[in-house]
Amino acid sequence: MLDALKDVIRKSSIHVCLINTGGCNGCDIEVVALLSPRYDLEQYGIYVHNNPREADVILVAGAVTEQWREKLQRIYAKVPEPKIVVAIGNCPLSGDVFNQEGSSVYAPVSDYIPVDAEVSGCPPRPSEILAAILSIGPNAIAARGRQKL
Amino acid sequence: MSSVIWYIYEFARKSWAEKFVAARSEQEIMETPSRWRNFPEVRKEYCIACGACTAACPAPMAIKLVRSSDTSEEEGITYPVINTRGCIRCGFCAEVCPTDPKTLLCGENHLIREKFTILPVEKMYVMDEYLCIRCKKCLKSCKVGAVSEVDNRMVIDQSKCIACGECIKNCPVKGAIKGVFISNVEEQKEIINLVVNTLEKRIDEDQDKIKNLAPEEIFKFDYPIDELVEKAREIIPNDELIRDTIEKITDRLKMRIITWDDEKCKSCRLCVDECPVGAITYDKDKGIERNANKCLKCSICYQTCPFGVAGFYVARFLLTEASLDEGVIHVTLKPSQLPIRS
Repeated sequence: MLDALKDVIRKSSIHVCLINTGGCNGCDIEVVALLSPRYDLEQYGIYVHNNPREADVILVAGAVTEQWREKLQRIYAKVPEPKIVVAIGNCPLSGDVFNQEGSSVYAPVSDYIPVDAEVSGCPPRPSEILAAILSIGPNAIAARGRQKL
Repeated sequence: MSSVIWYIYEFARKSWAEKFVAARSEQEIMETPSRWRNFPEVRKEYCIACGACTAACPAPMAIKLVRSSDTSEEEGITYPVINTRGCIRCGFCAEVCPTDPKTLLCGENHLIREKFTILPVEKMYVMDEYLCIRCKKCLKSCKVGAVSEVDNRMVIDQSKCIACGECIKNCPVKGAIKGVFISNVEEQKEIINLVVNTLEKRIDEDQDKIKNLAPEEIFKFDYPIDELVEKAREIIPNDELIRDTIEKITDRLKMRIITWDDEKCKSCRLCVDECPVGAITYDKDKGIERNANKCLKCSICYQTCPFGVAGFYVARFLLTEASLDEGVIHVTLKPSQLPIRS
């Protein structure tokens, strides 16, 4: 009974924390576009907080710079279970244009924290980000919530 | 008061209430527009493996050329592979792809062909920055605004120029604006060869006079160009072009003349090895011989010979202002100032 109630609530209310680990800010702007009335993220029950302690989903953008390596893991540790990580854009996947010879980026992000979904693109369209969050978010969070961790 | 009634009336409508409860983004907002540039599409069969796409790609991991392995029936083909985890969808690869049809398709930009903008004119006007005195008379006289000032230099916009020649008429410096014939290039080449060869032959006829020229003395003669013009008209019957070409040649040409005085030769053979093209040969019976057709007129023999067998002169030319049929080329010849080695 309680689990069922939790499932319903987890599916309809997803809190998102956006982390930019040293990208160009383009993906952040696409997320801001999601918040705008045109895409209106909140109609799906998704809320963006920049507070990892109350987040269900972490959106990671950026190519993981030297300073972000440990901080990223610390932020990940602060997110309460069940947690989902979505990598937005090419930077967390491959380092993209920052991953030149001799540069100090430490992509991919999956070397530091487990990634559940990837959205490629530089930047991805807002609708692609939304589709990724929605396709993985509610059910995965609900499923993880049922696991005894 | 009336507006309040209107609001109540508006909110009470069923359709409004339904919309309010089931508020959603409309489907078309989520759809990608047709102009959206997605990841490049690869059509393997057109690839020529030139590597232009990999060179143009700004993302280090996005594009790679691979070659499929050979099978017993056919050879493997080379083609680009797009890594969507690295690709930034800029479309550069599709733009640089030289094949037709394109191996890579990405967006629409690369399908745009630039329009042909060159006007069908005979002449192209070029500014000579070195001679230009920046008086801006050309800028004021240009009727179509093709002349402009960029970084304190006068520049002619070729896409605007209608080749009316107004700027040259107003230019106070000869040669600061050049009208170059861009048509009939092959014919122009022929005329240039004709004029240069004829002048060279004419000077060669006077070799004996030139040889006996005292130092610091100048040898002058006039050469009427009517014969030249006749021959040039056979190549192309365009008097303006002929005059323009001959004038440019005579203004620029600085002909080197080598004379050869066999009587002074002592057969020391110093020049034989020095000649870079082997135009000078030695034979026991005939002595030193010079092949004038091979000669580059580099003047090394003149600088080497201690007995003054070789003479080195420089000829300059000037075309008179008269019409083509009565025109005359003033030829001026003087000994070169090059020092003799040894």
